[in-house]
This record gives sequence, structure tokens and C-alpha cells, in this order.
Amino acid sequence: MIAIVRRVVLTLILLFASSLAVFAAIRLSGGDVTAARLPASATAADRQLFLQQVGLDQPILQQYWTYLGQMFRGNLGNSLTNNADIASLAVDKMRNSLILGAAALVLVFAIGIPLGLLAALKRNTWMDTGITSFSVAGMAIPNFWLALILIYIFAIQLQVLPAAGQGGWKYLVLPSVVLAAEGVALTVRMTRSAVLDTLGNDFVRTLRAAGLSNRRIYLKHVLRNSLLPIVSLAGLRVGQIVGYALVVEVIFGWPGVGQTLVNAVLRRDYPVVQFFSLVLVVVVTLGNLAASIGYTLVNPRLRK
Amino acid sequence: MSRFRRARKNKQLMAGVVIGAFVLLLAIFGPVIFGDYAKQDLLNGHKPLGTPGNFFGTDALGRDLAARATFGIRISLFVAISVTALAVVIGTAIGMIAGYVKGKLDGAISFVVDFIWGFPLILVAVLAAASLGSGLLPVILAVALVNTVAIARVVRGEVLAISEKEFIVAAKAGGYSVTRILTRHVIPNVIPVALVLSSYYIAVAIIAEAALSFVGLGAQPPLPSLGQMVSDGRNYMRINVWESTIPGVIIFLMVLSVSLIGDGLRDLLDPRLRTAVERTSAK
Repeated sequence: MIAIVRRVVLTLILLFASSLAVFAAIRLSGGDVTAARLPASATAADRQLFLQQVGLDQPILQQYWTYLGQMFRGNLGNSLTNNADIASLAVDKMRNSLILGAAALVLVFAIGIPLGLLAALKRNTWMDTGITSFSVAGMAIPNFWLALILIYIFAIQLQVLPAAGQGGWKYLVLPSVVLAAEGVALTVRMTRSAVLDTLGNDFVRTLRAAGLSNRRIYLKHVLRNSLLPIVSLAGLRVGQIVGYALVVEVIFGWPGVGQTLVNAVLRRDYPVVQFFSLVLVVVVTLGNLAASIGYTLVNPRLRK
Repeated sequence: MSRFRRARKNKQLMAGVVIGAFVLLLAIFGPVIFGDYAKQDLLNGHKPLGTPGNFFGTDALGRDLAARATFGIRISLFVAISVTALAVVIGTAIGMIAGYVKGKLDGAISFVVDFIWGFPLILVAVLAAASLGSGLLPVILAVALVNTVAIARVVRGEVLAISEKEFIVAAKAGGYSVTRILTRHVIPNVIPVALVLSSYYIAVAIIAEAALSFVGLGAQPPLPSLGQMVSDGRNYMRINVWESTIPGVIIFLMVLSVSLIGDGLRDLLDPRLRTAVERTSAK
């Protein structure tokens, strides 16, 4: 219990340090902040006035202090490029990313676990070879190229799914499949090896001897024992999905956190970059924390 | 059975080596056979597969696809190998110190490691590109940083486990110096882990470089990067699908080769590593 509290406190300190790192990194670049907001005809004096108004002429530590103070008062500031309120922007983008991420996470487990179980139970048959090769290929294929292949097949050739944008459920299919691909492949592998490990245990032999049906042994006893470590590591899959979402959202024009962040970096929109990077870091860090707590909880050996 | 014969019998390892050798041959001889990767011929753009003179076709600017793709392999390998060399050497050293010395130093190192671990790789690279400008250097630094941390985490765990074993306790009781224990007893046990991890992280580095070049943050034109070629080709999929398919297939083969070699090495050296690697490969 104390270990868990310690980890939570440590995580909060980590997030604080991350906010400082992002703040400094984006300011190091020294690109022209005013280019995206002011017209090309603006004079040097106009630009200076703009920097003064948004507080970018202050020393960097002073800026950070102001930023922290505002954030704790619930004021996230406004975009430098179009003056949009970041809080309302965030609600919108985060909801979109959440839909995409949740769909991908569901796919990861809904496809990965049954396939992994099947491969383990039919091991050394053509079915096992097929599923295992599929998962090796799934891990090797770059997701941005997979995206293009799927767009080519389903949007250009068959014309059954849209290539990009956001609308009904049809728009969700391709991006979530691409986002889930590597996680599915990894889950298949982990499930297969976990089930094979469990099958080697004595209790499986005992259950067989007791006359239980295979179906019951596999679904009730073996799967349950194998799944704990996999599900408890779901937090790591979250981190993975968040990272790839940056690229996938850009390809499919999905208006989420990732796409907003990439655009903001290109336009040097500091407040937007700061907030949206922090959102990603919070999600990944919480995912890592959940995985480490979950893994400790299901492995009594790791508890001190 | 000797190690060599066991290696020959390992199907994954052999498949990985064969694919890897094929890609290496392409990287070595491709640019020689297919000519200048930068030579433009604007009247000869979007040529399909099988065009005389440009057998694998041309891109939008009429540049030979095979010449560009094979030169792209060289860039990809250069980035992947420099990133992995940095990450394996530094990551193993840091992980070993943290795991063996323990105490406050371990606390401090683990804090920094957890801190960096909280950033998705792509975000680190985007921030690096934002502060250093686009190009290969920020990509190498960002990927090396994240991979160093990933390797340090695993090595630290391994060393923690090893340092509780009887032979280390005995060596300590025997009064051997820390340097001697580390070099003679700890390092030989960490090397298999480092070897298996490095093949996985070569794969991660190849994909990361390609993904960053795909979004425009990696190698800058006129250097041909595979990720960038896929990105260029994506606008012309209706005209000539090979412009994105050729570089895509090559990235796929490269990653497939190193992951098969990694799997093979793992089975050969230490099957127990399976879970350790899978827990950390989440990036």
C-alpha cells in the first residue's frame, strides 16, 4: 500500500517536471510566433507589441510561473494563432481521440486474445503457423504504410469506406484498425505464450483427470490464469496507442489531440503545444502507473 | 550440439538472416545498379513498373524509384545502427549501475528514466524537431534517448535479479572489488539480454525514423528516406501505386528481418527473456 502511495506521489512530481520540459523545449526553437497570427505586412513594432500583449517578452522562468499560476486557476489560455479558448478546444479534441483510442483498445483485446488462445490450443498445426505469422507480420508492418494499403483497398478500389475525415461509424473503421494493428499482434503473442505456460501446469492435468470437459478447462481455468498478466498490462497498450495516434490522426484527418498537436508545433502555437503535449504525457504516465500497479497486484511474488 | 549448429536449425533466425542479407545486398549494390537517386526527368514522371530504363518506375519528378529506395535503405540503416549503438552502450551502463549500486543513486536514475518513459517516442521526436529543426540529427537524438531509457529499465531489472544470486553474494564475501564483480560476473550475464534487446530496438529505430520522415520531420529532400517516399507516393496512389508500395515493402522487410533475428536469438540464448522483452516493447 505504501509502495503504491509512493508511486502516485512520484508520478505527480514526474508530471510537474514534464510540464517544465515541454515548456522549455518548445521555446528553445525560436521560430517566429507571430507569423501565423499577424499579416505579412505587420511591422517589427506590431510584432513586438503582440509579443508583449501575450507575455512572450518576459524571461522564460517568469513566463513559466505565470503559466502555472493560470493553469491552477483553471485558465488554460488561448491559442496564439486563432485565439480559440484552449479549454473548449481540448474538450472537443479529447473526445474525438478518446473515441478512436477506445475503439482501438477494444479491437486489441477482442481480436488478440481469441486468436492467441486458438494458436496455443492448436499449436504446431497450420492454424498456429498462420496466426503466428500473421502476428509477426503485424508487428513488422509500419502503421502509416498499413494505413495507405487499407485506404487503397477500401476507399479507392472498393469504395466502401471513407479515406479520411470524421462522421458516422464508417469513418472510425480504418483509423482504429490501423491504430490497433501492432497491439493485436503483440497481444496474440503474449496470449499464446501465456496459455502455453499455463497448460504446462499440474492443475490442468488434475482437472483433466477429474473428468472436466476440455472446453470448460480451457475457457474457465486456463484462460483466466493466462489473462491476468495480459490485462494488467493494458496500461502499456494505452501508451502505445497514444504514441501512434499522432501519426494515424494526421493520415486520416481525424480531428483529435494528435493532429492538433502536430499542427500547433508547425505553427509555433506555444499554449496549444504545452497543453496538448501535457495531455499525452499524463495519459501515458497514468497508463504506465496502472500497468505497474496492476502487475504488482496480480503477482503476489512482486509484493514486498 | 554446438551453438553454430543450433543457430542453423533455428528457423526464425535463419529466415531473418536471409531477408536481412537480401536487404543488405540491395543497400550495397542498388545505388550502383540503378544510378543517381537525385536525377530528375520531369517529362518522365509516374512511370509504371517495367518501364525500359527505369524498371521499377519513377516518382512524380521522374526520379528512379529503385535508386531512391535502395539509397533510402542506407540512410535508414545508418540511423538505426547509430541510434542502437548509442542506446545499447549507454542504456546498459546506466541500467547496470542503477541495478547494482541501488540506494539513492538508483532512486535518482530511476526518476529520470521514469520521467522520459512518460513521453511517447513520437512526441519526444516532435519536440526535438521543434527545438533543433527538422533533419536526421534530432531524430537520432530523440530515438536514442527513448531507447536508452527502455534498455536501461530492462537491464536494471536483470541486474537487480542477478545481484541477489548466490554466486554474486559469494563473490562479494570473497572480497572481490566492485569492478571485478561487475566485469567478470554481472556483465557476462547481461550480454544476452543486451543482444536480444538491441535487435528489437533496431526495429523500433527503423520504424521511428520512417514514421518521422513520413510526417516530414526526418531526412530532408533531396535525401531519399523510405518514410518520406511512402508519404510522397500517397498523393499519387490513383496514378502509380508503386511509388508508395516499393519503399513500404522495403521498410516491412527490414523490420521483419531484425525482429525474426531477435526472436531467434532470444530462443537460442535465453527463452526466459520472452516476457521481459514483451513487457517493455510497448512503445
